[in-house]
Amino acid sequence: MASIPSSSSSPSPSQPKARKKPGQTTSPPPPPQTKWRTGTQERLYSRRLVDALQATRDRAQPPESVGSRAVKEAADSALAMTARGQSRWSRAILFNRNSCRKRVLVKAGGKIRRHRRKHQAIPPAMEGAGATSGVLKERKVKERLKKLGRIVPGCKKLPAATLLEEAADYVAALEMQVRTMRVLAEALSAAAVSVPEEEEMEIAEQGS
Amino acid sequence: MEDEIHPLLHPAASPSGASFTALLGLPPSRAVELLHEPTFPSDPALVDRAARFSVFAAASSAPSPEVSPPPPPELAKKRKDAGSGNGKAKIKKGKPAEEDTDGENKLPYVHVRARRGQATDSHSLAERARREKINARMKLLQELVPGCSKISGTALVLDEIINHVQYLQRQVEYLSMRLAAVNPRIDFSGLDNFITSTTTECGRLTIGNTKVGTELDPQQQQAAWSEVGVSDANQMNNSATSSKRTQSQLPQNQLQQFWHVDLLNAQNHLQPSIWAQDDVAGSTVPLLVFDRVNPGFGIFVLSLCPKLSSGFPIGTIVLVPLLEFLSHCGRC
Repeated sequence: MASIPSSSSSPSPSQPKARKKPGQTTSPPPPPQTKWRTGTQERLYSRRLVDALQATRDRAQPPESVGSRAVKEAADSALAMTARGQSRWSRAILFNRNSCRKRVLVKAGGKIRRHRRKHQAIPPAMEGAGATSGVLKERKVKERLKKLGRIVPGCKKLPAATLLEEAADYVAALEMQVRTMRVLAEALSAAAVSVPEEEEMEIAEQGS
Repeated sequence: MEDEIHPLLHPAASPSGASFTALLGLPPSRAVELLHEPTFPSDPALVDRAARFSVFAAASSAPSPEVSPPPPPELAKKRKDAGSGNGKAKIKKGKPAEEDTDGENKLPYVHVRARRGQATDSHSLAERARREKINARMKLLQELVPGCSKISGTALVLDEIINHVQYLQRQVEYLSMRLAAVNPRIDFSGLDNFITSTTTECGRLTIGNTKVGTELDPQQQQAAWSEVGVSDANQMNNSATSSKRTQSQLPQNQLQQFWHVDLLNAQNHLQPSIWAQDDVAGSTVPLLVFDRVNPGFGIFVLSLCPKLSSGFPIGTIVLVPLLEFLSHCGRC
């Protein structure tokens, strides 16, 4: 039996760098652009995505169709798995899938503050104080950093440097996710579209 | 702050006032040299003295005399101590700040070049290191996000980054909606090979002449399989019709799925030579057709005529997942 070497068996160029060599310090992880653009990563992710989608479909009650949110969650989990838990956002995604989000956020008193009233109250109060442009700019930057921290999963209370690093990795991963999902969606919908055409052709063939 | 610097820069200055030079225990001239030295001091004595006065995590690199700039130097820790008397001077000049951020990942200490005219006390050095770290990461992000390189100003760049991340997340949501809509009609078993082939290029192809019968269950040969994309339209139609006729075992959607999924690529890439090898001649034939460009793809078996016996020699390529699929389909 002749077989094709499976594409997934080739080692990823970025993986050896992550492994620790004995007797040496760990080499720096590759920058996110190169790390997430390798073909191997795309293959890995696409494979995981397909598996996840299939699992989602099997898990959902057969009569009803899969919800888009379930698909999105599956895709994000697949992405986080492909990241191998090396980044904070991937860990945050995976851990928050297992346990309900509310459980994770329960504070000592058991009360979960849903509305960020405090955050919204502060800026108007501080307008009088921020006279110098330097302070104002700093505040703007801080605000934006906080906002970025809220957007990237699991990066709410990170210092700026780590946050920026996580954000870079997250952006690169998201781009790969979008690329792969787009290819998959287009392929599948093209396949689905051609079904009725083929049926017509066959009917015509049988008739002639 | 300038006053602090001048004694350091002037060789004639006494070392008593400047804690910096006192730390290293060197004459001021040597200290100044250190200050401006672009390369890591290769003098073993200097390195040893430096080792005593700064805290190093990687002790391995500290004592080696042939330390040269390329290997990661020790990084001096930024301590916010008010007292600069002890050897907490991070004055381990050696490398420009950009390499520090790379080296940071390996070692906890940061090398910072104290530039001329800037303060060298612990606080400002620490702050400067921190700022440079942040700026380096910011530059990385700027490169990642399209259109950010032109924008100047941290706040606006961060704005762009936030918008880009939100845009990507919205794209993911939209695509997941599309996938959910497409999902019900598609069965995923064996689709992963298709996926891997569409997203990447496969160059190689190994074809062996094998007997189909030996690989497949005889029982499976009787089943109607979904069909490979065909270069010859006649064959396709013939096979299609015959596959429909004999199709009792295979569920309809699986049949269609492979048909159409393969059809996409087959029309582009199929190797007519594979077909030419076999005595197809318009009749349905058990074949595992392989697609040169998309190896994962071509593993579709034509509908098998019951009359064809096993042992039909063909050039085939069989992938393991295909066999799994075959066994799976044989059971259904």
